[in-house]
Amino acid sequence: MKVEKDFHRIVDFVTEYAVRLMGSGVHTSRVVRNTLRISEALGVTTQMTLLHKTIIFSIHDKESGQVVSDVVPVKGYPISFFLNSELSSLSWAAYDNHLSLDEIERRYKQIVATPRINHYLLTSLVACANGAFCQLFGGSWGAIGIVFVATLIGFTLKSFMQKRHISHYVVFVITAFVSSAIASVAMLFNATPDVAIGTSVLFLIPGVPLLNGVIDIVESHILLGVTRLVGALLLIMCIAVGLSITLSLVHNGLVLL
Amino acid sequence: MIGTIIVDGLFAAIAAIGFGAISNPPRRAFLSIAIAAAIGHALRFSLMHYAGVDIITASFCASFVIGWVSLFLGSLIYCPMTVVYIPALLPMIPGMYAYKTVFALLLFSRNLSDPEMVQHYMQEFFVNGIVACGVIFMLAVGATLPFILYPSKPYSLTRRPSESKAD
Repeated sequence: MKVEKDFHRIVDFVTEYAVRLMGSGVHTSRVVRNTLRISEALGVTTQMTLLHKTIIFSIHDKESGQVVSDVVPVKGYPISFFLNSELSSLSWAAYDNHLSLDEIERRYKQIVATPRINHYLLTSLVACANGAFCQLFGGSWGAIGIVFVATLIGFTLKSFMQKRHISHYVVFVITAFVSSAIASVAMLFNATPDVAIGTSVLFLIPGVPLLNGVIDIVESHILLGVTRLVGALLLIMCIAVGLSITLSLVHNGLVLL
Repeated sequence: MIGTIIVDGLFAAIAAIGFGAISNPPRRAFLSIAIAAAIGHALRFSLMHYAGVDIITASFCASFVIGWVSLFLGSLIYCPMTVVYIPALLPMIPGMYAYKTVFALLLFSRNLSDPEMVQHYMQEFFVNGIVACGVIFMLAVGATLPFILYPSKPYSLTRRPSESKAD
C-alpha cells in the first residue's frame, strides 16, 4: 500500500516530467502520451489540461482513491530532441520493466544532466549549414564564404545575448541586422549579393516551432498549435525588421522584392 | 542531371545537420537526419526542376517520403519519428518566403497613396504568404501522415526490446 508521502513524490515527479517535455519543444500529443504512460507505470491516473505557459494536472491514486490537483508553470528550456527521445525511452522502460520510482528518478536526473553539444562545434555546424543553404539558393562560392562568416559571427552574438537573458525579440532583430550587414560585403565583390544577404539570416528562422505548431493543429491540439505558430510568426517579423535595417542602409530600399 | 540532384541532396544534408544541431538531437540520430534530408530535398528539387511541379505539391511529396524514411530509420535507432523528420524538414522551411511576406506588408503600408505599388505589393504579399504557409503546412502534414495511416508503430519507436539494451 502506497503511503501518502510516496503519492506526493509521484505527483511531483509526473508534473516535473511533463513540464520538462513541454518546455523542451516536444509536440503536445507526445507530451500527453509519454506522461500518461509513465503515470500508468507508477500506478496513478493523470488528466492534464495543457496551456502554453502552464499545465493543470489532476492525478488520481488508483489504490487509495486520493486525487491531487496541481497547476505547474512551464519553464522555457532550449529545444532538445535528445530529451524528447530519451525521456520517451524512459517512459517505455518504466512501463515495460515496472521500474521503481527511485530508479526512474535516478535515470531521469542522469538524462536531464547530459551536456548539450559543444558550443564551438555547434557554431561551426550552423555556419556550414547556412553556407550550404546559400549554395542551394544558387549563391556563388564567394557568397557561400561570406555567408559562412556572417553566420559564425551572428550565431556567436545570438548565444552571447541569449546568455544575458535579453528579450528574444531584441536578440532576433539585432542578430538579423548584424548577419545581413556582414553578408552585404558581398556587394563589394559582386558575389551574388542578393542571395548572400537573403540567406544570411535564415539560420534564425524558428523552424521547429513552426513544424510543431502545424503538427499540434493537425493532431487537434489547435489552441497550443496556434500559440506556437504565433510565437514563431513574431520572431519572423523580428528577422524581417533586422534585415530591412540593413537593406535600407546598403541596398537603397528593400530591393529583394 | 544526376550530378546536380546528388549535389542538392548533399548540401541539404549539411544544412539539416547544422540547423538540426541547434535543437540538440541525440548523437545516434545525425546520420538518419542527413539521409532523410538528402532524400527529401533531392526529391523536391527533381520534382520542381525536371517535372515542373509547384513548390507546395513538391514539398508535400518530399515530406511524405521523409515521414516514411524517418519511421524506418527511427525504428532502427530507437528515436521518435519527430526527432528524425523535424531536423530533416528544416532545410525545406520557406524562410525566405516568410520574411518576404513581412517585407511586402511593410512596403504595402509605405506606399498607400500609389495605387500601382499597392497592387504590386499586395500581389507579392499573397504569393509569398501563400507559398510560406502552404509549404510549412504541407511539410508538417506530409511527414505526420504515417502517424495517421499506420498509428500503432510510430507510437512505440522508443520502446526497446529488453532491459539490457536500454542501459
